[in-house]
Amino acid sequence: MSSAGTSNKPAPGHVSASGQLQQRRGLGDLIAKKPEMVTLGLLIAICIAVAIANPAFLQPSTLIDIGRASVVTGLFALGVFVILAAGGIDVSFTAIAALTMYSITLLAINHAPNMPIYVVFLIAVAGGIALGVLNGFLVYTLRVPSLIVTIGTQYLFRGGLLAFVGTTWIMELPGQMGTFGRISLLEFETANGATVSLPVYFLILPAAAILTWWIMRRTLMGRAIFSLGGSPDVTARLGYNVKIVHLFVFGYAGALAGLAGIVHVTANRLANPFDLVGTEIAVIAAVVLGGARITGGTGSVIGTMLGVLLVVVVDNVLVMVGIPSTWQRVFVGAFILLAAAFFVTRQRKFKPAK
Amino acid sequence: MKIANLMKTTAFALAAMSVLGFAAPSSAQDTKSITTVVKISGIPWFDRMETGVTKFAEQNPEMDIRQVGPATADSAQQLQIVNDLVATGVDALAVVPMDPDILEGILGRAMDRGTIVVTHEADNQTNTHADIEAFDNSDYGAALNERLAQCMGEKGKWTTFVGSLGSRTHMQWVGAGEENAKKYPGMELVDPNNESFDDANGTYEKAKEILRKHPDIKGFQTSAGNDVLGVGRAIEEAGLAGKVCLVGTGLPNPSTAYLESGAITAIGFWDPQKAGMAMNAVAKLMLEGKEVTDGMDLGVEGYESVTVTPGAGKGLLIVGNGMVLVDKETYKDYLF
Repeated sequence: MSSAGTSNKPAPGHVSASGQLQQRRGLGDLIAKKPEMVTLGLLIAICIAVAIANPAFLQPSTLIDIGRASVVTGLFALGVFVILAAGGIDVSFTAIAALTMYSITLLAINHAPNMPIYVVFLIAVAGGIALGVLNGFLVYTLRVPSLIVTIGTQYLFRGGLLAFVGTTWIMELPGQMGTFGRISLLEFETANGATVSLPVYFLILPAAAILTWWIMRRTLMGRAIFSLGGSPDVTARLGYNVKIVHLFVFGYAGALAGLAGIVHVTANRLANPFDLVGTEIAVIAAVVLGGARITGGTGSVIGTMLGVLLVVVVDNVLVMVGIPSTWQRVFVGAFILLAAAFFVTRQRKFKPAK
Repeated sequence: MKIANLMKTTAFALAAMSVLGFAAPSSAQDTKSITTVVKISGIPWFDRMETGVTKFAEQNPEMDIRQVGPATADSAQQLQIVNDLVATGVDALAVVPMDPDILEGILGRAMDRGTIVVTHEADNQTNTHADIEAFDNSDYGAALNERLAQCMGEKGKWTTFVGSLGSRTHMQWVGAGEENAKKYPGMELVDPNNESFDDANGTYEKAKEILRKHPDIKGFQTSAGNDVLGVGRAIEEAGLAGKVCLVGTGLPNPSTAYLESGAITAIGFWDPQKAGMAMNAVAKLMLEGKEVTDGMDLGVEGYESVTVTPGAGKGLLIVGNGMVLVDKETYKDYLF
């Protein structure tokens, strides 16, 4: 595989051909180096198209609804981005979220109904880390593709949840878990008297995004992760501890999944053990649409967030545009296919020479 | 080692013999057994059904009546359970199939062996002596819509949700609802048949979008069990409880908070307790060699005058009138 993560800038004097070629090279460079600009362009194009189709799209409540809907997908996507960057893949994160959120809700109800919300989050993150590290440990020691391992653990976590923990909905959330989802950051009333509010839990997403950016771009661990995704052999030879990197990326994704699970519960005001699992494909699609390569070594936090917005916006404008529900899945599928195909072919075409 | 093994084997054999010894005379006394097999055990719906099965067992102490089911919603596990039951020679099976097609083979073999087979929620099952449905799907859809129209003052924009476009019963319900709404020229259906995939959060997002696109919407008719929770949350958060009407299929316990706040106008369902009793009642009649006829009283509330028609296969299709529609005032009678 190519060492995609390493910098491979064309020399300045290299681009000296005709104007057209220069432009093509410019686009190629842009896609190769800043694929998130393409995601942004797509996002803007879609928003303009929707606004033309239905001007009702242009109201503040749209922005708030999209922001709110992005939180859980966004947290999952950050975890997937880190794992993809390291050259792996994870499909078990939704099961980790479901298992932790349901177990903790049950724990809180039965033993500590007055547990402060930050303790709930801490336990969720700890639980997520434990399950994620298990993933990382299995991937590293078994030397099996992470897709296979995480398909297995997804079944294991979800099966364990339904078989041993519980299958009933919990409608009455205990103490602060019940009220946290309703605290709003800002609130206003629309013309028809409906209230629109942005919940406080929205802040968790930008915070997690900044933390992820810092880890990936400012720490040695971040470098090791990109290096592992680019070329595992070289990474080991460079002296990075590959086992620790494996444990870290899966543990980190697990932590974010645990966080996402609790946000999901408090926002929904119910804990349904059948929730979440089944949404992982949309999350992975969001990360790929954000410019991360499925083969690892690339990607950025900004791109991932834009990819999430893209998926959430497409999901939330279908009724607005008036696409009949019979066609909605066809539309979403076709969109993801086209956009992903565009990314993959562009990247291949303009991949810097080896 | 060998002696220990031998002792173990002997103990096991003795235990097996004693079990057989106890079982043999009881079958000689002609105790008939009916086993109800549900989709999943441990969820509120089928726990409620079990209360009906237990009640029926109390009413018929001379029979051996119980309920079993797999721990997860898995049609293969359910098949395994039915296989085991047929092998042990149960007299009658009352099955709520996870996937009717998967059970066709084993139910056919069971019928060949003389086992009575009764099903529920499977009007397309061919290998069954009788399939019991709580209500006629068209009547149910129309009743939901009638309640919605009443709440909306018979005018305004309304929309519908289904679990998925492939769900036959849901499409029948909303179809009958649309038909019913034609009586009221003031009612305008907008963006119908939204798919919810029975996911409360996804339904919530969709409902928010519809509220944004149609700020003047007045009614929602929903189908899957979680839909009322998602739409109810969207209505409540928007401060529109009591201003926008919501009528759909739902369970009383999960819906309590939204029924109280007025975000849910009314929920419709059938009582699994009564359905469980009705299945067992039909199985008992058939074990006694009696015929189930049109207009018959099964002795179960909501099944006092059942409609009997030929089913999908050789068996009967028995339809009751077990529809329940409750609102804020009446839901407390059905807490499950």
